[in-house]
Amino acid sequence: MLPLISTNMTAAAACASSCLAQIMPAGQAQIQVALTISALLFTCGLVGFMSRRNMIVMFLCTELMFQGAALAFIAFGRQHMDTSGQVFVIFILTVAAAEAALALGLVVLLYRRRATLSAEAWGELGE
Amino acid sequence: MIASLAYVVTPAIDAPELRWAGLLLLLPATAVLLAGGCAMARVRSKLAGWTTVLLLLASFIITLMLYGQVQHPVTVELFDWIDFTWGDGSKFHGFSANFSLYVDSLTLFWMLFVTGLGTLIALYATEYMEVDVGQGYTRFFAGVSIFLLAMSILVMAGNLLMLYLGWEGVGLASYLLIGYYYTRPSAVAAAKKAFIVNRIGDLGLALALFLIWDNYGTLDFDGLFQALAHQPTTWPDWDVAAIPYLIMLGAFGKSAQIPLYIWLPDAMEGPTPVSALIHAATMVTAGVYLIARTMPLFALHEMALPTVAWVGGSTALLGATIAVAQYDIKRIFAYSTISQLGYMFLGLGVGTSFGACYHVFTHAFFKALLFLTAGAVMHGFAGQLDLRKLSGIRRIPGFGLISWTMLVGCLWLSAFPYTAAFFSKDEILAQCFIGHGPGFEFLGWMGLATALLTAYYTFRVWFRVCAGPVHFEPGTEDHQADAHSDQHEIVHTAHGHSPVAGATSHAFHPHGPRWAMSSVLLILAIGAVGAGIPGYMALSGKPNWVSQMVAHSSAVDAAGVTQSHDHPTLIGFDVHTGLTIVGSCAAIGGILLAWYLHLHRRKSADALRLALMSHPITRWVTIAAENKWYVDEVYHAIFRLPLWAGAHILAFGDHHFLDGVLVDGLAKLPAAAGRVFRPLYGGVMQGYSISMLGGIGLILAWFVWVWTSRG
Amino acid sequence: MTAMAQRIDQLWPELMVLTGAVICALIGLSRQRSMRAAVPIVAMVTLAAAVLIEWMRPNSGSESGLLFPSLGHYVKIAIGILGIGLAAIGAGHMDRKFEAQIALGRVSFDPLRVVRGEYHAFFLFSIAGVMLVCGASDLIWLFLALELVSLPTYIMVALGRSNRAAQEAGIKYFFLGALATAIFLYGFALLYGATGSLDLIVIRDWLSVQSALGGLSSMAVLGLLLSTLGICFKITAVPMHFYAPDVYEGASTPVTAFLSIVPKFAGMCALIMLLGTVGWNGHSITASDGVRIAYSGLPQPVTAVLWMVAVLTMTLGNLGGILQKSIKRTLAYSSISHSGYMLIGVLAGPGAGFDALFFYLFAYGLMNCAAFSALASVERRGNDVDSFDDISGLRAKQPLAAGVLAISAGSLLGLPPFLGFFAKAYLFMAALEAGHVGLVVIACVNSAISAFYYLRFVLVPLVAPPSARADELAASNSAFPRIAAAVCGALLLLLSAFVTQMLGAASRASSGYTPVAVGDSAQDSVQSARAPAGGDANQVVVDSSTRHP
Repeated sequence: MLPLISTNMTAAAACASSCLAQIMPAGQAQIQVALTISALLFTCGLVGFMSRRNMIVMFLCTELMFQGAALAFIAFGRQHMDTSGQVFVIFILTVAAAEAALALGLVVLLYRRRATLSAEAWGELGE
Repeated sequence: MIASLAYVVTPAIDAPELRWAGLLLLLPATAVLLAGGCAMARVRSKLAGWTTVLLLLASFIITLMLYGQVQHPVTVELFDWIDFTWGDGSKFHGFSANFSLYVDSLTLFWMLFVTGLGTLIALYATEYMEVDVGQGYTRFFAGVSIFLLAMSILVMAGNLLMLYLGWEGVGLASYLLIGYYYTRPSAVAAAKKAFIVNRIGDLGLALALFLIWDNYGTLDFDGLFQALAHQPTTWPDWDVAAIPYLIMLGAFGKSAQIPLYIWLPDAMEGPTPVSALIHAATMVTAGVYLIARTMPLFALHEMALPTVAWVGGSTALLGATIAVAQYDIKRIFAYSTISQLGYMFLGLGVGTSFGACYHVFTHAFFKALLFLTAGAVMHGFAGQLDLRKLSGIRRIPGFGLISWTMLVGCLWLSAFPYTAAFFSKDEILAQCFIGHGPGFEFLGWMGLATALLTAYYTFRVWFRVCAGPVHFEPGTEDHQADAHSDQHEIVHTAHGHSPVAGATSHAFHPHGPRWAMSSVLLILAIGAVGAGIPGYMALSGKPNWVSQMVAHSSAVDAAGVTQSHDHPTLIGFDVHTGLTIVGSCAAIGGILLAWYLHLHRRKSADALRLALMSHPITRWVTIAAENKWYVDEVYHAIFRLPLWAGAHILAFGDHHFLDGVLVDGLAKLPAAAGRVFRPLYGGVMQGYSISMLGGIGLILAWFVWVWTSRG
Repeated sequence: MTAMAQRIDQLWPELMVLTGAVICALIGLSRQRSMRAAVPIVAMVTLAAAVLIEWMRPNSGSESGLLFPSLGHYVKIAIGILGIGLAAIGAGHMDRKFEAQIALGRVSFDPLRVVRGEYHAFFLFSIAGVMLVCGASDLIWLFLALELVSLPTYIMVALGRSNRAAQEAGIKYFFLGALATAIFLYGFALLYGATGSLDLIVIRDWLSVQSALGGLSSMAVLGLLLSTLGICFKITAVPMHFYAPDVYEGASTPVTAFLSIVPKFAGMCALIMLLGTVGWNGHSITASDGVRIAYSGLPQPVTAVLWMVAVLTMTLGNLGGILQKSIKRTLAYSSISHSGYMLIGVLAGPGAGFDALFFYLFAYGLMNCAAFSALASVERRGNDVDSFDDISGLRAKQPLAAGVLAISAGSLLGLPPFLGFFAKAYLFMAALEAGHVGLVVIACVNSAISAFYYLRFVLVPLVAPPSARADELAASNSAFPRIAAAVCGALLLLLSAFVTQMLGAASRASSGYTPVAVGDSAQDSVQSARAPAGGDANQVVVDSSTRHP
């Protein structure tokens, strides 16, 4: 199962990054690489979020997406020679930390009710 | 011709300094809220009654203050209400109807007696309704306050939409108050009847509003009058010519004229103060106000005003003939109201707005007085209103005042020479002979015949009830029990009936009115006398208060304009002198007839009735008159039955085809469509995330497609 | 420095609310019952004070250096007023079982077991977040404010009641919310990459230059779309609406009321600000013969996407609402469909469209307040009512709640005497003026479909006979929800007489916004730089002094 997922992830990420490279202006290679990696991180996060059932892993996947966005900010800041992208990243880290605290609190609360971390255990609401 | 008249109405000036006139709407609104608050707090005292009286009194005082301030038509903007524009926002691309007041002398004239009489009648009702304290008392005063609020909106409205709001509001208040005794089926039926019949008229008014906006692009009175003053004199198309007739329909519904008068007699199911205030003095004159207010619109078709005159004259006669044959006191007064309203429309139609408005004014006093005395009788005799079962109450302690004030009312109603109503009626009938119009002179004679009948039936009541030997049968227990007798009963008891004299009177002690009711009766009687003063002045050719009030408003008094140079005469005299003679003869003749038949030799009335019944032709007339010419039954056969049958046929089709096949079928579609999407809401988080991202993917795909396929 | 002082001067309402939050958190832990009972009142008073401060302050207008300089004034007052209603709905709801036991003397006070203080603190934090959204001058501020709106709501959902459904709702809401946040954050990154600035006004200038010189760059549009779609989560719009029914159903009634109003306010403001950067005119399409035709409105592909989102949102919302048995689930779908209607206002653009949209937002908030306060004013065996069975024949037991429920449903449906009708009418008229005839037709059909479930709110409490479950209904322990229900219900009727004034207030919200930069020094310098932006990184040099005027 795991290899399959990771294959999927890689394929999707590669696809996404090539798409991004299409619309990205040609130019500095380092920025290009950083942006590709950021897209890769983001897509990994997305695919992981959809495919994993463990709530902690799912949360880590959202963190992955956040970091992808943060990396993009840094790369673009570098591209534009502008520091505000990096300032944004500091705030992203702060918010991510707050979300982490919240997420762990919630997960612990849920784990106490049912001794499982699977998100599928919580599907009573719905149609 | 009337239609060629240029009705020039003085343009109104904006008067922001008079914003306090908005209190006239705010005070009744506060009264409504306070009464509602009392109802919510379950107040078991007369509190609601007194707050209403005080707030209405304040309203009256403010009207007086406003009267001192306004010499010229003014508009007062209170706040923005409806303001739509579309397109370029030009004349027909916008609709605005703001909460503004249009105050001219006509407004003030109406407001003076609406708030004044409203205060007095509310004061009367604080005592009259006291048996209901803790039950419907608060509800009653809430209804009265709603009525006064709506009536003030109607009269002070700055545009036709606001007038319509008040128009519907008084209809609602009337419905609520007629159905006040909602446990009685007859009251509920009467309330419904009044509401539905009024709806027909309201439809006319609403259509008129649409057409007015469609043709003139505004509903503001001021803008409308100016637009009318500047329009070309050529005959307009049907959609303009229809406007006066539609307005007329609305006025006839509210003011109980042919063909929509049938609701008013039944409306007497409500408490008597309501009958006095709403169904005699104020609300039913809203139709007269409407026509007087929109008088410039009646120049849009040459036959519009003559139609009003003919309908008014016919209603006056019809109401009087029915009133002659009724036995219930309130019902007689109800038909007399219809008849007197007919006179007012006659006056409007023949071109004397002054006469019509003056008659509204005098009628408000004496008819309110008559209803309140009838109410006092009803109150004292446990709901008894059949004039065959009451006699000589003048001599019963506590009823002297009632009898004498009622005599004042009766004299005024029968237009006894040199009473206020004599002058106002004279003004209207004189214009019939002076004015030129199709059959106006015939209408004048019809009005005189009506005057004779009026004097007869009015004094029939007084001589029967107040004069003669003392005897009475109290009504059934509480005074709300039976306000009118069923007409079928009349037919059955018609053959040789004889009221059982005083059969139950030994156990019953009638109680007279206390100070609140008595003082109101006195004030009204004095007011009725005082209402004659402008008439004396008019007769002696001096400018008087009422004619000035009317002439300087949109109810342009056409009398002065249509007066031709030849001097019309009546029985060889000048019209006014002639009418004084003929009118006095009619009034005194009617009274003498009533005296002979109903006081001097009461048996002769029954003998006359029996004689009439014995002849095959007159028998029919008698029964038909007693049954109100079977108009209700005819309407039932012509309108209600076909509608009932049609409704059932449609209901069948609706149930089996429209509802069964079309609606239910259509209704299944959205639910089925909803079921398609149900699996998306499975309840598992991953499912949602996949749906969300899938959705994003699809939308991005749509975006890319639009992006790439553009130009 | 004076600019900063000015900005702080505008933040008094927020500071007031944040102070109130701290007070709530503190006195919520008090040993005295009366102090704990005062928490919701403190919340209401601080909100009232914030509204008052904002009301008294002259609308400072254009000098504040924001894309929408006057937005905050309207939104702060509107959300403050609605917040008072929401606090009233929730008063006495938190800890009610525990407090009842303390009152009976069965248990002693335990600071670890009470959540009322925290709940109200989070409540106020979230509302402060909405107020801050409107003051956002750059993407960082916008992001932080949006997170300030969202993070407290995650906790409120889970805290609101201590059953499994609430916790499930909390976890779903949190995870999907984090996903959405990541998406719009990535959108922000792309927007930054395309323009090289985080300042909304500079972004607006850049984008208008881009579109004037040959169309927006793909990266800018993609960034815009991703941020829009991420924010769709906050306004429960398709395709990010899937969480709403579950979360609304699971959360307790006051929290559901909160979720249906507060994040929507924030999301709508954020959406308008983001789309405000791309402007509503100055765009053009190229005809087949190569001639560029200028037109007003959003760039065509963005319009197409928003159009599709609006249509899908109202349709899916209304279709979903028909089949529900749970009241709160139905209201969730109703909330979704109303987002669809609001997007019509966004599409109609500045002027009539925004006026109608802001009017609609407030009217919608009031209608939902009325509906939820009516629901919160009754309880069944100490629990929230949820299925339609519970409120069957409600008129006999709680005539006020039944009446207000019917009024609010009529208003949500858009029946004429109620406020909702005018809100909808203005929205549709604005859309017609902007030429979105098809959209209005679809919205009207949707309004008709919505009658299927809204009429249930009228028929079930007022007409249906009481069910067995409804026999166990009782009035809730606090009088606040009843007062809120009465006030909101009355307002829905009375405010109909003042729609023109309300529309006037709403129209001031978007005043001062200019879709394109005109005659600005920033414009000149931007134009002197090479466009489209994001071309060659070395050459894009914008003087930093012009970027922060």
